[in-house]
Amino acid sequence: MTRSAGWVWLARTETRPEGAVATAPLTTGGQPAGWLAAWPAGRKPVPGAVRADARVVDPDGAAASISFVLLPRDRAPLFDDPAVSGALRRVLAGPPPDAVSTFVRDSSHFAGAVTVRRDGQDLADDPFARLAHAERLEVGPGLFGRVPPVPGPVIQRYAGAPWPAAGFPAA
Amino acid sequence: MTATEARGADLAPGTAFPDLELPDHNGVPRRLCELAEGDPLVLTFFRGWWCPKEQAFFRGLVALQDEMEVAYTRLVSVSIDEPVALSAFRAGLGARWTFLSDAARRYVDDLGLRETTDTLYRPYVPTVFVLRPDLTVHSAYNGYWFWGRPTLEDLRQDLRAVTRSVRPDWEVPR
Repeated sequence: MTRSAGWVWLARTETRPEGAVATAPLTTGGQPAGWLAAWPAGRKPVPGAVRADARVVDPDGAAASISFVLLPRDRAPLFDDPAVSGALRRVLAGPPPDAVSTFVRDSSHFAGAVTVRRDGQDLADDPFARLAHAERLEVGPGLFGRVPPVPGPVIQRYAGAPWPAAGFPAA
Repeated sequence: MTATEARGADLAPGTAFPDLELPDHNGVPRRLCELAEGDPLVLTFFRGWWCPKEQAFFRGLVALQDEMEVAYTRLVSVSIDEPVALSAFRAGLGARWTFLSDAARRYVDDLGLRETTDTLYRPYVPTVFVLRPDLTVHSAYNGYWFWGRPTLEDLRQDLRAVTRSVRPDWEVPR
């Protein structure tokens, strides 16, 4: 039993990017903080793009608060690092966000994560904030949707896809 | 087949398990096929958070989740408790899988899993199914008496058999 692992490219840019399937402006403290955009799986659209679970992206999604963690390549831990596993367990155990996805650049490293909330709950307890600086941002409408809570208990990735995207690629 | 027969006569190994739709412990509507996400699934029906037998059994499942979390295997538990009670029970256990609430007893009779000896709460009779990713029943355990439930070793053996049959690269690629 296999099915495609769904992922998208996600990147933060200074100006509104072209060709994205979903884009939204970012603000912090009421000040502009760039753009966040998603592109379909395939050729990497911009140099800093990372892969994220496709289910979090919804061009019809409402504005949201996000906790955004993005590690530089030279500081990215292994995805199987116990600290990363611990963060995934905390996501599964805690109150579910509207959406959550880890980021990956390759098959073995953790590149970051985004946690999306609209319920007013504090993003300061983002489990991924223990791994690297987590930036609290407001994101405009048109990028992030609302996804059912991650079923658990699986914390492994499927063929290198960003957690929690499930299902192995068809043989 | 090492498992004992489930009480539900139509839920024998080889049959298709119904794709239940129930609210989870957060109150979010979920479907079994969505929760399986293409993986083998252990599905447990239990009386309720208050039952000492369930508490003992779930402590074992919590121990097993440390293996299931790295084995591409899913676990779902169903009872007649309200979502808020399930959420508290789940948190107290340290469970990281999905609990489903059938407080309305929507499926208890359809599945033939009503515990008829409890006429007050009308709970599910404790029953465990090991399902293939397409929700076909691989094995079923009647846990009315505690020793009818699967041991963790029973579940490991079942999950090995299911995983071997559904993963085309079970044999090491050469």
